[in-house]
Amino acid sequence: MFHGSGLFAVLLMVLEWTRPGLSSPLRPICDLRVLDHFIKEAWDAEAAMRACKDACSIATNFTVPLTRVDFDVWEAMNIEEKAQEVQSGLHVLNEAIGSLQASNQTDVLQSHVDASISNIASIRQVLRSVSIPEYVPPASGGEDEETQKVSSISELFQVHSNFLRGKVRHLLASAPVCKQGVS
Amino acid sequence: MAKMRSDRLKIVFVLCLAFVSIGGQHFESKVAQLLRDESEDIKCFVEVKDLTCFWEEERNSLPDQYTFTYSYENKIKDCVVSSLSLLASNKTVFFCKLPKTPFFTTLDVKVSRDRRMLYSRSLNAENFMFLDPPRNLTVLSSGKEGQLNVSWLPPLLKYMDDSMIYEVRYAEEGSNMGKVEVIKVSTMLVLLGLQSDTRYKVWVRVKPDGVAYKGYWSAWTEPVLGVTQPSELDPLIMLLVLFIGLILCLLSMTVILSHQKFLLKKLWPDIPTPERKFPGLFTVYKGDFKEWMSQNNSSMWGRSVHVFTEELPSPLEVLSEVSLSSHGTSQREERKPVEEDEEKESERSDSGLPDRWREPPQAHWLMEQLRTLQENPQPLSQSLLPQSHDTYVTLNQNSQGDGVREVDDVFEETLPLQTLFTTAGTPSLNTSHSDLGSLQQSSGSGRLSSQSSFEYPNHTWPPKGPGYAYMAVADSGVSMDYSPMSSSRIVELGRHRMYTNDYKNEIFLHKWPLSGEHTKSGSDFCMGPIW
Repeated sequence: MFHGSGLFAVLLMVLEWTRPGLSSPLRPICDLRVLDHFIKEAWDAEAAMRACKDACSIATNFTVPLTRVDFDVWEAMNIEEKAQEVQSGLHVLNEAIGSLQASNQTDVLQSHVDASISNIASIRQVLRSVSIPEYVPPASGGEDEETQKVSSISELFQVHSNFLRGKVRHLLASAPVCKQGVS
Repeated sequence: MAKMRSDRLKIVFVLCLAFVSIGGQHFESKVAQLLRDESEDIKCFVEVKDLTCFWEEERNSLPDQYTFTYSYENKIKDCVVSSLSLLASNKTVFFCKLPKTPFFTTLDVKVSRDRRMLYSRSLNAENFMFLDPPRNLTVLSSGKEGQLNVSWLPPLLKYMDDSMIYEVRYAEEGSNMGKVEVIKVSTMLVLLGLQSDTRYKVWVRVKPDGVAYKGYWSAWTEPVLGVTQPSELDPLIMLLVLFIGLILCLLSMTVILSHQKFLLKKLWPDIPTPERKFPGLFTVYKGDFKEWMSQNNSSMWGRSVHVFTEELPSPLEVLSEVSLSSHGTSQREERKPVEEDEEKESERSDSGLPDRWREPPQAHWLMEQLRTLQENPQPLSQSLLPQSHDTYVTLNQNSQGDGVREVDDVFEETLPLQTLFTTAGTPSLNTSHSDLGSLQQSSGSGRLSSQSSFEYPNHTWPPKGPGYAYMAVADSGVSMDYSPMSSSRIVELGRHRMYTNDYKNEIFLHKWPLSGEHTKSGSDFCMGPIW
């Protein structure tokens, strides 16, 4: 009997530690410096891509989100709309940059591509921590509304940087969870 | 009623003008600053929420002649051109303020006139923030010395409170050399390391931190004066310091006064004088040793031993070999071969100066004593005896064979004692000077350990009784060294050649019980001048 209860306790501990299944809610990451770190890396990628013009040119078009922020319009939007705009934009951006991973590129480009992909994933985690709704794919083809086409890798990374600095950052700054007296 | 209404209208109008002028001032100053600093043809900046782009034209032209277009995300839009006359620099600029400026996207701006493109530029609006200076700058002196508390409010702008960087400049009033402190996000700063009781001017300006937004440095605020606290000594601390100082002084005074004599003795030790040992020598007989001796002869021996023991251990001088060699040549054979040279020397000297030395009757006895001691070695004497042999043997120094020289050396040796006897004054330590000289010679030779500081002036010395011996001892003591340190050094350093009083006394004591006569010479002297 003792052995049985001991084994049960050990099993409970192991299960609790591994925690299979859904994770517990994350602590809200309201500090914008976390996002600033990703933005700085996006700056570096943009600068690096601007520098390498010949080696980093690629003859394909990328579908990227719109990055424009009109403050009047933005302030008039509610949180869900903002969230949807940001999440769909992140999704599109992720696909565009992800398409570069498969292709054979230089080491510099590859490192920036990998960093950007992982940063987008981290940003998604941050948004999830402040209870921003997840991305919902549009039912019918609505991709062209908030997207544009770019033809170079430097433009792609420029869009990436602008998107993070603009929409994503302002969404995080205006997250309701963060404004509830948590400074 | 009508009058009141008109008055109110006037007030409102004046206020409106004031607001416009203030806003205009900011705008104008920004335009003027960028006109100086920016090199682009089209200069753009964002004030609050709207992007303004302007350019300078020299010719007197009208704004209507210009077409200003900007495009972003495949959209093209127009903007109305206006003109502005700068009063300060007497220049005219044309500008356009974009309504609903799109941020975080690339803007392509074009200026054309008469359908001909003049200037173009591609930029992101959020990178050209030109903020207003911080507001409500206050400078207060903190409670501590050399510190000032500076605080301000950020310019009115949304979304950017946490991404601003400030620069605080401060300088002494009247001085142009200022220091700059950069501070992020926080809107207050404590200036440290300032001079006390000094007036300082403080300015502040602001800029976006460059992560999400970028831009130009704002204009400096108007200087605000602040005064640092005057340095003052806490009266309590002063009082405590004085009090403690006073107590320490009193304590030290008490200690010094109570141990006055002791401290004086330690700091300023008396030069030992032999006056104690020779009562009346200097006071009554004015240093005339002969006279003093003659007077005190009878009572001398009673004290001699006692005095002798009190004397600081000083190297005695061994009897010259001359006396021993004549009697104990055969005895010498037992001695170490090292001494043979010395023996020869002494023999030579002996032969050279036959008159010099009267064989003391106790010399032979002394040799016997030494031998016995050698055969039955005491722990102390064991170390000493061989050396005593050395010293015994060597009266003269490293004189090798020149009899004349030896004589000279001997004379030199005798000199101190002569001086001692002849001069009326106190025995000068000059005697020891020559002694040392001869001593050093001997030590340099390495063979002669002893120095015959034991001097027998051959003609001036009428042999007397034990008094002479004693005196010689004393003399050597006097002439050699008074300081206690030397005796201890003697004991320590020349182990192989060190003699202590014990040894001397031993011989001496042995002698006295045996015979009433005392050697007059260093037959009982062991020498060890060594250093």
